[in-house]
Parts: sequence; C-alpha cells; structure tokens
Amino acid sequence: MKLLRNRRAMIILAGLIVAANGFFPALWILFTSFKTEVELMRVPITIIPQAPTIENYIRVFVDQPILRFLFNSVVVAVLSTLLCVTCSALAAYALVRLRLPGAGIILSVLLAIAMFPLISMMVPLFQVMRDLGLLNTWWALIFPHAVLSMPVCTLVLISFFQDIPRDLENAAMIDGCTRLGALWHVVIPLTAPGVFTAGILAFVNSWDEFLLALTLSPRVASRTLPVGITLYQGEFSFPWPIISAALIVAIVPICIVIAIFQERVVSGLTSGGVKG
Amino acid sequence: MSDAIRHRLTPLEKSERRLGFAMLAPAFLLLAAVVLYPIAELIRNSFHFNHLAQPWMGTPFVGFENYVKALGDDRFHEAVLHTVLYILVTVPGAVVIGLGLALLANQPFRVKWPVRLGLLLPWALPLVFAGLIFRWFFEYNQGIANAMLRGLGLEPLNWLTSPGLAFFAICLAIIWKSSSFVALVLLAGLQTIPKSFYEAAEVDGATKWQQFREITLPMLRPAIFVALIFRTITAIQTFDIPYAMTNGGPGNSTETLAMYIHKTTVDFLDLGYGSALAVLMFIVSAVITSLYLRHTRRDPGRH
Repeated sequence: MKLLRNRRAMIILAGLIVAANGFFPALWILFTSFKTEVELMRVPITIIPQAPTIENYIRVFVDQPILRFLFNSVVVAVLSTLLCVTCSALAAYALVRLRLPGAGIILSVLLAIAMFPLISMMVPLFQVMRDLGLLNTWWALIFPHAVLSMPVCTLVLISFFQDIPRDLENAAMIDGCTRLGALWHVVIPLTAPGVFTAGILAFVNSWDEFLLALTLSPRVASRTLPVGITLYQGEFSFPWPIISAALIVAIVPICIVIAIFQERVVSGLTSGGVKG
Repeated sequence: MSDAIRHRLTPLEKSERRLGFAMLAPAFLLLAAVVLYPIAELIRNSFHFNHLAQPWMGTPFVGFENYVKALGDDRFHEAVLHTVLYILVTVPGAVVIGLGLALLANQPFRVKWPVRLGLLLPWALPLVFAGLIFRWFFEYNQGIANAMLRGLGLEPLNWLTSPGLAFFAICLAIIWKSSSFVALVLLAGLQTIPKSFYEAAEVDGATKWQQFREITLPMLRPAIFVALIFRTITAIQTFDIPYAMTNGGPGNSTETLAMYIHKTTVDFLDLGYGSALAVLMFIVSAVITSLYLRHTRRDPGRH
C-alpha cells in the first residue's frame, strides 16, 4: 500500500516537473505584468505582485496599436492556413490516389522546395513583393506563410488519406460523383480530424513567424504581433512591465487555441514527423 | 508502377492522371512563386554588385567576387562559427532534455491536460517571445537569474553583456523553446513500444537502467533521428532568439549566420553580398534536408 502511494507521488512529481517547465516563463511574465516599475526595482525581487496594477495593460493598448497587430496576425494566419490546407489537400490526394508515376519523387521534390531556409528567400521575396506593390499588405505574408507549413500539412494529410478505403470513393463515383466530388463529399468529411490538425499547425506556424513579418511589413500599421511587440522597447529603455503585459495579451489567443485543440495538435505534430 | 505487364493506359487512367497533375498544380504554382523564382533571383543577385546605398554604381555582373569576399570576411567566419556552436550545443541539448521530458510525461496520469499543455506551450510560443522572456530572466538588476545568485550569496553576473555568458544564456533559451517539440515527437515514439517488452525484461530481472538502454533507446532510434534532423534544420536558421536577447552582441559575439545575412541586406543594404551569403547557407541546409528526405522517402500511393 505504501509502495503504491509512493509510486503515485512519483508520477505526480513527474507531471509537475513537465508542467512547471512549460508554464513557468509564462507565469513569471504574468506576475511581472501586474507589477509597478518601482516594485521591479526592489532588491530582493518579489515574486507575487505586492500592489497589483493594471496600469501596464492600459499602456499596452495606448502606446501601440496592438489591436491592429492582433487583427493583422489573425487575418494573415487564417488566410494562409486556408491556402496552405487547400493546396496540401489537393496535392496529398493526388499523390495518394491517382496512380501518378513517380509519386514518391514528386513528394520529395515538394518537401525539398518547401523546406528551403526562409532567410535565403528574404531578400528576393522583398524585391518581388516590392515590384508587385504588395509590401506592407497581408498578401506579402500570406503566400510565404502558406508555403512554410506545406511540408507538415501534406505529410499529415497523406497519412490520413491513406487510411480511407478506396471502395468508399468508388461507390460514390458509381453513384455519379466526380473525383473532386468524391474528395469533397466523402474523403474530406471522413478525414476531418486530419484536415483540422493540419489547419491548426499551419495557423500556429503563421502566428509565430517573425523574420518575414519583420522584413516584408516595415510599416507599423501592417505589422503582426511578434514584430509589433518589439516596438514597445524604447531607444534606451526597456519597460519590462509593459512588455510583459503586451506579451500576455499576445500569448492569450494562441494559448486558447492550443488549449482547446491540444489532442489534435499533439497527434498532428507526431504523425507528420514520425510515421514513415 | 507495380504491374509487371506493360499495358496501354485506359481512358479512365489517362484522365485520372491528368486530374492528378492538375491537383498538384496549385501547390507547385505557389512553390514556384514563393520559393523557386526568389531562389533564382537570389542566385542571380549573388553574381552581381547590388548595393542600395550606392545606386550610381548600377548592378554590374561581378562573377564570383561576392563569394571571394566571403572567404576573406572575418565577421562571416565568426557568424558561421557561432552558428555551428549553437547547433553543436542546442541540438543535442534539446534532444537530451526533450528525452527527459518525454520520459517524465510518459506516465499514467489521471489528469492529462497540465502535462500536455506544459509540452505544447513552449512549442506554440513565438520564438521572439521566448527570446524576450529569457532576456528578462537574465536582466542584470531585476532578472531572476541574478536574484538566485544573490540569494546564494554570490556576485550577480553580466549575463547578456559578456560574450561567453550571453552565448550560454541564448543556448538555454533555445533549448527550453525547442525541447518540448522534441519531447512530443519522442513521446509518440515511446507510446509505440509494447508494454510486454518491459514486463518480459522485468521477469528476467533487468534493472530500470538496463531496460532503458536495451529497450527504450533502440526502439526510440527512428524518433530520435527525426527529432535530430528537424532540430538541425531549424538550428541552421537560428535568428529570432539571439535577435531578441542580444541582437548579436556584445560586439558580434553571439551573431549567427542568419543574423549577419539579415544585417548585410537590411541594415547595410548590400544585396549582392548578402545574396551570396544566403546561397552558401542554403547549400548547407539543402544537404541536411536531403538527409531527412532520404529517411522519409516512400511511395504515398502504395500502402
């Protein structure tokens, strides 16, 4: 009995370590965001805010157009996700079902191109977007972000499509469906969890992307959250409580997304990488 | 194709094939516009002089001059060295810590979400945010790192303004940020190992350590390989975290190759030279990517 209780305690301890490792930085930022500049100066430092204030949160919304950053992030992430999932689903279906010669090689080529390092595309993409007049628009980020997630989305969707028996589509096609009709009415509904998973991964990748957002959207009003947050630092000052509050505001939406869809995210991350 | 007998394609097969290529078209059009065309431009740029601060010079063809310049550029050599050091420290670091987290997370918890979210949060956090948070940890006066040193009765350290310590702090941030993704990949690997293996080993009197070495590690090898390759591909492009923590400083002591390319093009406006550096980087990562692709190569139509 005692041995069993010890084992239980060990398991809980293991879980606490993992949870603490993940949550600690965000918690620390949360505490900081409620402190005053004066309290931050105190030595030894305090952990829990002694005189909590929401002043920092007010400054977050007053100092920079953070709602605008948030809006830009949402639009770019949603549209690039739709584009990415559509292209990946069509490609994955063709590779799985349509008996293309050299499907394996086509997949490798697709992955290889989509995995080129972003930094090496930064300058030419800047030139292309400038020539097309797309700098500082959402489109300058939507197209590259869609490519960013294409490898993982394609791999996830392939592994889901492979599990659908051919007979189901054949039956639909005998009933007068076209191929695309069968994909839309039979395969996609049956693989909805996979499509969803691919979508969440694409969304998070776009939400987090920094380098291109920094380079292709130089104007303040067109910045996404990760770039916008860096604007809170002054030339010589680094107002930590305000930056912490801004970080919390920026982290909350993505936390909600992953908290709601946690199981799907985990299965997607692992099926894209390990199965093979 | 799997059939041994060569046969003419039936009209149905022909139309399927045509449809198949049509369905691949959107993905490849997007790749052509966002990757292939820019890469072609990049390579062209790298053979030209193109300095936005000297527009009167035009953009003459200069052959390999930009590449020759890289050979003698100390700052480039240092950036390469730093990048290699980051890879050597953070890739194995993240895999070891990630393996530890995966083993801790692979327990029969009654409540699963705290552990799962504990692994997902660092993954979902933008890299720049992780960089900013760790910069705050290592702040001289108010940071938690120095607060702990003071608590132990030690002198506070200049974490982010002395080269060696700044490198250490950045590595710690990168390992924290990336180890949870590794843990998720390895956790999936752990869950495919049949319980009966451990039960059999238990019967034979194997210790926990022996079970780990003889069962867990060999069975995890494919997952570890995938995690290593993924981490390496991203580590080559290390940018966000050092950018947020030190912006390459003090001096250029924590500057990575990606940061130097960014500075060369965006701050110094030298597009020609920056492009040559980017081509060099892209060749290195292409080699690593091809290793990964060889591992995952398979025919999606056959199963």
